[in-house]
Amino acid sequence: METPVIDFHTHSGRWGNTAVFDDPKRYIEIMDAAGVDRANINCIFHSDASKGNNIVAERFVSQYPDRFIGVAFVTPHYPEEAIPELERAFNELNLRSLKVYPTYYGKPIDDPGYFPIFEWCNDRGITLMSHSSHGPGDDGLTIPTSFIPLAQRYTNMKWVLAHSGNGRPGQELAVKAAQACPNIYLETCSSFADHKTIDFLVEGAGEDRVLFGSDMPLMDARAMVGRIVTSGISDQAKRKVLGLNALKVLGLEE
Amino acid sequence: MGNVDLNFKSTVPTFDANVALGRRHDRRVVVDTTAGLIEAMDGSGIERAVVYSPYAAHFDTVEGNEQLLDMIKGQPRLIPQLVANPAVEDLDTFAAQVESLGVRSIRFHPDEHKYPLRDWVVGSWLEWMESEGIPLWIPVAETDPVSLHDIAAGHPGLSIVLTETHYSQVPWAIPFLKSVSNTSVEVSRWVIADGVQRLMDTIGAERILFGSRFPDSSMGNQLYNLHRSDLSESDLAAICAGNLDRLLGLE
Repeated sequence: METPVIDFHTHSGRWGNTAVFDDPKRYIEIMDAAGVDRANINCIFHSDASKGNNIVAERFVSQYPDRFIGVAFVTPHYPEEAIPELERAFNELNLRSLKVYPTYYGKPIDDPGYFPIFEWCNDRGITLMSHSSHGPGDDGLTIPTSFIPLAQRYTNMKWVLAHSGNGRPGQELAVKAAQACPNIYLETCSSFADHKTIDFLVEGAGEDRVLFGSDMPLMDARAMVGRIVTSGISDQAKRKVLGLNALKVLGLEE
Repeated sequence: MGNVDLNFKSTVPTFDANVALGRRHDRRVVVDTTAGLIEAMDGSGIERAVVYSPYAAHFDTVEGNEQLLDMIKGQPRLIPQLVANPAVEDLDTFAAQVESLGVRSIRFHPDEHKYPLRDWVVGSWLEWMESEGIPLWIPVAETDPVSLHDIAAGHPGLSIVLTETHYSQVPWAIPFLKSVSNTSVEVSRWVIADGVQRLMDTIGAERILFGSRFPDSSMGNQLYNLHRSDLSESDLAAICAGNLDRLLGLE
């Protein structure tokens, strides 16, 4: 069936410890095989945010504007650079949303160091996606319910919880967060998701607030699309999760 | 517009190599009954499944295996896999049970059962399995790659299935699979991008097994991946069922 499919969560970078690919052409081949039209792509691993944002803009978005949607990032460890880099990333590089990764930075999502970044996003109605996780052995930096006071304070922006809390204990809290805040969305990629996880997220958060993501190149878009299409939700809900919701969140045309 | 199959089911005969059946002590899983499992299999177009008892893996092999056999009585689509604890169980008693039941594969959980995967613990068991042609499943998170490699290399006639290999284990798993040819990989957690192609390039279709890790994963995600990985019909059929049939002597 032809339906818009937007991958909300992909990374650029070779992840040296897993030796994955970083060639935009290979992303596109896999996206084609999976049935993915366009992918949100970020590069969040450089300590100098401008390097990552340039890679996204130059290697991916400008080369393949019909297939990649640029995602900016900034690091809270260099707060003096954050706002100027946000201005550059959105105004000059035309990136469309922001990703933060507290687990990688070692700073919890509610650390005040992020607040100027959130305020900047809130003023402009920017969508922000953050890693989210909770469960045995977790670092506690991105517990899904810790997003509730943030989403209630910064109401003009959309908050996307990557991985929907990663595992059932986290998913339960992610659903709770989505139920508490209409501006919280849940993204689906995970390697810890039980059978019927998609059904659980859609039932809990509503079919309008769940977004398909793959985490490519860590995980394959084909496997992650497979989780959506083989779930027990309705065909219309599948279409929303696969792409229709992302189009609305990102303000894109079908 | 993306071309996706919203109601995908497997298009080839499919035999799941990794399913847990029964209740667990640490949480209530989404499906813990035989009827629920069969319903899920039908939903993804899966004909048969190798099933083991999570209770046997987590606590008591003897009682867990008995519970499993009781749960699948009269259900020919479910093929029992017994969990063994070679550190504490009597091999002769276990071997007699395997023979009388016609069981075709065995599973070790070294970490859960608190023993090292070394020949001085498991050697006699591996020699018996080697001589009887009974393959061994090992969740790779339950041991270390060096021990796993030593037993695979030291028992070349034993077929070993690496199950639940996660993308974080790919750095050692690829050279491991290249090094010891009596091993296969079950792909439930091998969801790394391009993972199927990397396995095809490394070991070929004949050592790849479809498995879901149900109910800890959905049954359909890797099936969809395999169906969209540009495999030939014969390779897809081998990965989805043929290789497992061969390993279990069910051809």
